[in-house]
Amino acid sequence: MSQVKNVLKLIGLYFKVNLASALEYRSGFLIQAFGMALSNGTFVFFWWVAFTQTGGRIGGYDFNDVMFIWALTSTAFGASHILFANMNRITRLIVSGELDTYLLQPKDVLISLLCSKTSLSAWGAFSYGFVLIALTQGRSPMAWLMFLTGVITGGLLMTAICVTAHTFTFYFGDASLMGNMAQEFIINFCNYPEGIYKGFVRVLLLSIIPASFIVHIPLKLARSFNATLLLALLAFSFMYCLLAYKFFYRGLKRYESGNLIITRL
Amino acid sequence: MKIKKYLTVVRISFQNAFVYRSNALGGLVFYALFIFVFFNLWRAIYQSGEAAGYSLNQIIWYLCMTELIVFGCKTGIFSEMNEDVKSGSIAYQLNRPYHYVFYQFSNALGTMFFNLIIYGVLAVVLGLIMVGPLPDYKLSMLPFGLFSGMLGILINFFLMMTLGFTAFKLEDNLAFFLIYQKLVFMLGMFIPVEFLPKWLQNVAVWLPFSYIAWAPAKLIVDFSWELFWRVVPVQVCWAFIAIILAIFMYSYGVRSLQAHGG
Repeated sequence: MSQVKNVLKLIGLYFKVNLASALEYRSGFLIQAFGMALSNGTFVFFWWVAFTQTGGRIGGYDFNDVMFIWALTSTAFGASHILFANMNRITRLIVSGELDTYLLQPKDVLISLLCSKTSLSAWGAFSYGFVLIALTQGRSPMAWLMFLTGVITGGLLMTAICVTAHTFTFYFGDASLMGNMAQEFIINFCNYPEGIYKGFVRVLLLSIIPASFIVHIPLKLARSFNATLLLALLAFSFMYCLLAYKFFYRGLKRYESGNLIITRL
Repeated sequence: MKIKKYLTVVRISFQNAFVYRSNALGGLVFYALFIFVFFNLWRAIYQSGEAAGYSLNQIIWYLCMTELIVFGCKTGIFSEMNEDVKSGSIAYQLNRPYHYVFYQFSNALGTMFFNLIIYGVLAVVLGLIMVGPLPDYKLSMLPFGLFSGMLGILINFFLMMTLGFTAFKLEDNLAFFLIYQKLVFMLGMFIPVEFLPKWLQNVAVWLPFSYIAWAPAKLIVDFSWELFWRVVPVQVCWAFIAIILAIFMYSYGVRSLQAHGG
């Protein structure tokens, strides 16, 4: 228990330092956050046009359902990139030998590595989801509760998927393409109604690319709460993250230092 | 001859793109992913039949073509302009025996040409796998659609370059790029203009964005001479305006350029 507390404390500390550093460049920070929110916002228009054409439902979802999954994807993505933005650089750090810096620190290597960078534009994605939920789900307490639950589980799952993909670098060399693909796949499958996919893709969404657990199950819970499904969501998220964590440390044993001398400021 | 040096640049950049062809692998996967997701989405939308005059078959081919133009045009020209201007490295290129704007265009042309070939093959393969060939398609009309596609690529390239040159005056111009990109997405790339509300269609006609992806894709999947004469002259005008704008922004910006250090 104290270990979990320590990890949370470390994440909190990194967050404070990263935020203070981001606020040093206020105009850049605001422009990037605004740009990301605007970029996401234009897709509301796309969905509005699409639903105007069908006049009802697409893949079993109505307009508000789609807005829920968009909001959740956006905020979960934002949260994961505010706290763990370095996940996208894992391959680069391994290949260039910059991982040495983290190995010398008296804290959890993976957590230190993930938290030591933040993304400014992620704040736009993070806040955009809240605005969209407030505008489309109104005061529905269950929608808000499942949205907030989904932000935590979804954010952690997105990070775990990215970590898993980049960890392959320890085994096969540069896996940056796999890392980018993992992220693109997860975002694309989260942003569209589950019902538009059939067969094998549905299986993928419940396993390797767990988009169903990131957004579609929280939506189901928001619309019709089911305690067993919630437990399944929490258990799956925990297991996936634990496996990603173990996989990284197993891979780390294969890491060979390149004796690179660098300074971390 | 003056044009010879630019043709050499095109040739070298094409050779470079070919040598580093594995770089394109990731892009091909993303292209296939987008088409797959949108194929599923449009299939769900089309459960009720035809929409805005497009059949499902046509809309998937339309999407393959618009994505082809956007993926094929990916040259990173905006970020390159930004980087050149902000880092001051543009100063090194001022005294070289070429016009910076046309050098960048020639350099991008080789890459675009290579991209269009590989994405083009993938687009045709994906289209055939997902929905099969377009019924009653007149292959003889394809060159006219491709000509419109070339004009769309020209408009897009020089508008992006113009936006990149705003770095001469603005500290952070990323928001312009994001807004431009989304306007292209929404006014033709993801949704054909015919799907938009009437008032927006009337506005889109006067803007360059729908002439980048919508006009060529529509001409390729559903060619008519009436449409050709309606959109191609407008594309020529926008291409001309975009080139002039890029040259103007460059000349205007470079006059106030201050480079420090060495």
